[in-house]
Amino acid sequence: MPALPEYKTRILLESNGVPMVPAVFLDHVPEILPKPVVYLKAQIPGATSRAGRGLVRRASSQNEISTGLTELLAEQNCLGVLAAEAADIRREYYAACLLNFGGSGSLPGGVLVFSPEGGTGIEKRTGSLVKIPFSLLNPPSADEIEEKLPGVPNSGSLAEFLNKMINTFIRYKLTVLETNPIAVVEDGSHIVIDCRAEFEKHGVSKKDAHLFELPGNTVSDTTPLEKAVESINTDDPAGTGFFRATRDSVPEGAVAVATNLCGGGGKMLWEMATGGRTDIFTLNESDTSGGLSAFKSYRILRVILSQPEADVLVLTGSGMAFQNQYHLASAVWKALRESPSPLPSLLRFGGTDQEKAIQLMDEVSQNLPVEVRVFRPEIFPNAMIEQISSILSENRVHQEFKAPEGELLFETATPPARFIYHPEKNPGGTEPACVGECPTGFLMWKDGIIATNPEAKCIGCLACETASLLRDNGVLTIELDLPEEVE
Amino acid sequence: MAGILKYLCNIDTPQVLVFGITGRQGKSRSRLMKGFGTRIAAGCTPGKGGQEVDGVPVYNTPAEAVQNHPEINSAVFFVPAGAIARAAFDAMDAGIKFLVLTADGVATQDSIKIKEKAAETGSMCLGPNTVGMLDTDGYLFGLIGGKASWAKKNYLPGRVGVISRSGGLSQLLASFHCRPFLPGPRPDGSFGPLWEENYPGLSAVLCVGGDPVPGITILDAARAFEADPRTEVVVVYAETGTTQENDLAKAIEDGEITKPVVVFLGGKFTQAGVAQSHAGAMIRNESETYTVKKRVLEKAGALVVDRPDSVFAATSGFLTR
Repeated sequence: MPALPEYKTRILLESNGVPMVPAVFLDHVPEILPKPVVYLKAQIPGATSRAGRGLVRRASSQNEISTGLTELLAEQNCLGVLAAEAADIRREYYAACLLNFGGSGSLPGGVLVFSPEGGTGIEKRTGSLVKIPFSLLNPPSADEIEEKLPGVPNSGSLAEFLNKMINTFIRYKLTVLETNPIAVVEDGSHIVIDCRAEFEKHGVSKKDAHLFELPGNTVSDTTPLEKAVESINTDDPAGTGFFRATRDSVPEGAVAVATNLCGGGGKMLWEMATGGRTDIFTLNESDTSGGLSAFKSYRILRVILSQPEADVLVLTGSGMAFQNQYHLASAVWKALRESPSPLPSLLRFGGTDQEKAIQLMDEVSQNLPVEVRVFRPEIFPNAMIEQISSILSENRVHQEFKAPEGELLFETATPPARFIYHPEKNPGGTEPACVGECPTGFLMWKDGIIATNPEAKCIGCLACETASLLRDNGVLTIELDLPEEVE
Repeated sequence: MAGILKYLCNIDTPQVLVFGITGRQGKSRSRLMKGFGTRIAAGCTPGKGGQEVDGVPVYNTPAEAVQNHPEINSAVFFVPAGAIARAAFDAMDAGIKFLVLTADGVATQDSIKIKEKAAETGSMCLGPNTVGMLDTDGYLFGLIGGKASWAKKNYLPGRVGVISRSGGLSQLLASFHCRPFLPGPRPDGSFGPLWEENYPGLSAVLCVGGDPVPGITILDAARAFEADPRTEVVVVYAETGTTQENDLAKAIEDGEITKPVVVFLGGKFTQAGVAQSHAGAMIRNESETYTVKKRVLEKAGALVVDRPDSVFAATSGFLTR
């Protein structure tokens, strides 16, 4: 789960009225320094046990503040430094809100974990932890929380504090919210000294997005090709587009397989078939499912084919997709004929229009520069992999593809595409096959040209281009943008 | 013969409210559902009340829809993940007892709240992140099936009940039991047709979804198949993460589930703590690992296979001729 650093977590807690130790966030060394004594805390996403790593320092003079700030700001992945006033702490507590996933007959919900002991090393003092389950739908009042804190001094004030913490946890749909320590100060009130949060990206509402954004200078382990898929998802969000490259190197002697596993089921079938094999190395995970367009399948396939270490492409879903397999096959054909480095491919189609998909690939595969073998869904990945060694080519194939020039007919925004007409390929000026192939009626033949029907929508299926290339000499082609990271 | 919803939530004939019916997916999936035989009573899209989609009246709220169509007892949602909790709450408040939540990417807190609300109202939710469900009695909810003609051809009445945590494998395990002469590996090591024209067929398939907090669980679905007289064998696609398989194993061991259970268990090589494309497959503790699940399921008496194509021979071995 993504983690939110302390200075950002403070904002969430403060917005729900949780009292915090006064502090200022600094992303540079200011001319006017904070007054000592302060604690300087490096703000690094996901960092824990900062004190033990020298990322938290007590500064009791202007000189120490200046030096500490300079050094901490130079730490890798440091977003800034929180300079927090020293508090007169009389007692420390620990509290965290977590998710309870339920199961075995119990309902899920939240859990408040509380300890009358706080500070570092709390995880080793599990005996002092009290777990208080709560409902996310009907969270407990302060009075109800107080009943669960017997023997804790000033429990009414503490319960109010914890109630606000739970409200913060629920309001922002966090997965973890930890305050450690909660300090009891001289007047008996409670303040947060340190805190952190974890969240799900898809749990963040649009209006709160700014609270969860981090400056762009953090070191990310996202690979360029993963970024490419992120950008594809941004401009064509419909359906699932998941790609993750392995971080390991290809072992000596193993075949490097680029995979398009279509969905979670396909991924699991592949993993079960190859997980115990040392001669097959899976270069990437991918999930292209959930009703995505063929345009998007094509673009993600181009990312998958861009892996320079790849020896072979395997495409298989579960074997019974609701995603139209003919549209998927159109995307595969387009990717293999347009990629500068296509791969020998093992392709398994199963689901709606699977026969059309298999027929298409049988028809076009002879003209591709790489060998393609097509499988019916009754042949499972555990059988497909037995053919990998016999399809490998000695060297990676390279080809040049230049999109044919023509007249821009129109563009679609989502999915984004440019439709190019080539009138010289339709000398008779008759209605081309691509119009009749459009499954939604978006393409029309009107007054001797291809027009669009404003009442209909392009679903990005590629059926028009496929029909055009197979039956009309390519009178209509489609150009799809690719992120710069792709080949 | 009643469908599986009779045994899941006491619904004899589903009368469905479609949320998001005016959107592209809602419209096309409603056509598929109707084409398969599902009775769609009304649609619901806030701000679009008064419209019609393919002759189906659209209302602004579920309460309004139920007021005008008191026969509505179930709902399917084609709405974005961020809007699903509110829509589901409104549906449950309107008295709807069976909900199918197709959205992927629902925040875990929302899934939990939906489950809490369902417990309060006595409703049952399939999903989130589900491809839906299909009953060969003549109805389906969600995305399952593809085109109506394809669904009618591939999902045929019979004796196998399918439960799955994967959308694709829901469809695969369900439809392959309906294929005459299905080829596959046999228990004796040979390969060939597992049956002739007399395929086992399907009673119903329920995709419980790939999220960490499913509404209806594998065990809930297994209980329904246990009560369903059409179902002779229960086939499950299970995987790592969550305690659903552990709960199923206990129910088999306790004698609550007595019908034969065949489990294709995925995740043999899934590592703890690693994010999966099914969010619910992430392993959070030892009991959620492949090893523990296989052990408890086998101890309870389930037949666990780790090759998907082994499922079908295993099923046919349990069927009485």
